[in-house]
Amino acid sequence: MSLGKFGHYNPDKPMQGRVTDVGPRYYGEMFPDIIIRNYGKWLYHEILEPGVLVHVSETGEKVYTVRAGGCRFMTVEHVREICDIADKYCDGCVRFTTRNCIEWLVDSEEKAKALKEDVGSRKHVGGSLKFPVGGTGAGITNIVHTQGWLHCHTPAIDASGVVKSVMDELYEYFIEMKLPAKLRVSLACCLNMCGAVHCSDIAILGYHRKPPIIDDEVIDKVCELPLVVAACPLGAITIAKTEVKGVKVNTVKVKEERCMFCGNCYTMCMATPLADKEGDCIVLLAGGKISNRLSPPKFSKVVVPALPSNPPRWPEVSATIKRMVEAYAKDARKYERLGDWAERIGWERFFEKCELPFTEHLIDDYRLAYDTYRTTTQFKFTEAAWAVSKAVGGI
Amino acid sequence: MAEVEHKGKKFEVDEDGFLAGGLDVWEPDWIDYVKTIEGIEELNDEHWKCIHFLQDYYRTHGIAPMVRIFSKVTGYKLKHIYELFPSGPGKGACKMAGLPKPTGCV
Repeated sequence: MSLGKFGHYNPDKPMQGRVTDVGPRYYGEMFPDIIIRNYGKWLYHEILEPGVLVHVSETGEKVYTVRAGGCRFMTVEHVREICDIADKYCDGCVRFTTRNCIEWLVDSEEKAKALKEDVGSRKHVGGSLKFPVGGTGAGITNIVHTQGWLHCHTPAIDASGVVKSVMDELYEYFIEMKLPAKLRVSLACCLNMCGAVHCSDIAILGYHRKPPIIDDEVIDKVCELPLVVAACPLGAITIAKTEVKGVKVNTVKVKEERCMFCGNCYTMCMATPLADKEGDCIVLLAGGKISNRLSPPKFSKVVVPALPSNPPRWPEVSATIKRMVEAYAKDARKYERLGDWAERIGWERFFEKCELPFTEHLIDDYRLAYDTYRTTTQFKFTEAAWAVSKAVGGI
Repeated sequence: MAEVEHKGKKFEVDEDGFLAGGLDVWEPDWIDYVKTIEGIEELNDEHWKCIHFLQDYYRTHGIAPMVRIFSKVTGYKLKHIYELFPSGPGKGACKMAGLPKPTGCV
């Protein structure tokens, strides 16, 4: 920009020739011609095969879309390759989906076949596919995820690494459409839940298990203490006075038995770090959705309180998720999302079928918890329930 | 923590150029230094009114004021605050006043 028509950027006069508030480019500028001609005139669409869609317009024109997985964190070199493909097949047009897949649009089936053949065979040096074609229909598409150890300062786990491990394990579901309904997997590396973990069929969430350590020496200089106090959802933080090297300073005190390790105080104040190699773990949630199809949108619910964060492959996480997906694929009815399935069979059955242990960590105890308890005698006996009964000398 | 030097004076700053010692070590020379990096040529009464208000508010309440309070008390609309401090009330005015760096998802 500094070399553009407004001249070089001059650090002595930063406001000179400054362009501001111009917003993003108008999206219509980047439309392929065929989209401009048929905008607002689409009649119907079909999924021809995993990763390939066709949209038919009332003008009779057809648009073929080839969808490929993207790694989201991309180098410029990789984006240039995407552009080269777009230049070769699609007159230079390409788009990204809301789950960070890449879509190339062409106007004939032959072109779509050739394009799929081409992009599907491109590989990185290490052997992994650059553009695996898929992500459509009742399968598992890209994982919406966050920054992790790559760039953020509050994560409890990594993002890209976990996503790569899990997608490797679930790859067959990306390139095929063999589930009862679509299954959305998301990841957030801390409880801020940037992205979609609170409303995904299966969600991976980074979690701390130790309270923050207060750096009394600098806290009053670098933090606004009332904000730290107000950041705590449980009122575990209070203002305190202490002595550092003979000097009286203001600081905060954490009531450790009230702390649930959310890390909000660290977001507001860098003098209360709580990341910990052994303590930080992965929580799995399940059963959320955002569409209104058949049932209203749902929040996802915690089903696994803690799995170890084991870089670089996180084997426990991939294995547990795979188990849940397989149990769902085997048992759910057509069109049933994971949350619909769990609610129909009952969550006690969900835990049994997914072979997940139920522990006290999963019982809600935050403010409006009461509504999540069972206030009915309607329930199914499960093996786990019988085991408790037997352990206390019952039937 | 890094150190910057301005006209023979040394200031300890964090990686974003905020005064590491906070309001305790603030002095008018700090403003003289910050205005060179913020692109402000000369401070007028309006600049000083903002800085004094921020410092008073911080001493009283322990936090920086919300933008709406800043605007209401000084009587300057947000647009005018940006004219005074091109980097905005957080990165510009608070840095000059010696307040801690804004935190949260910024």
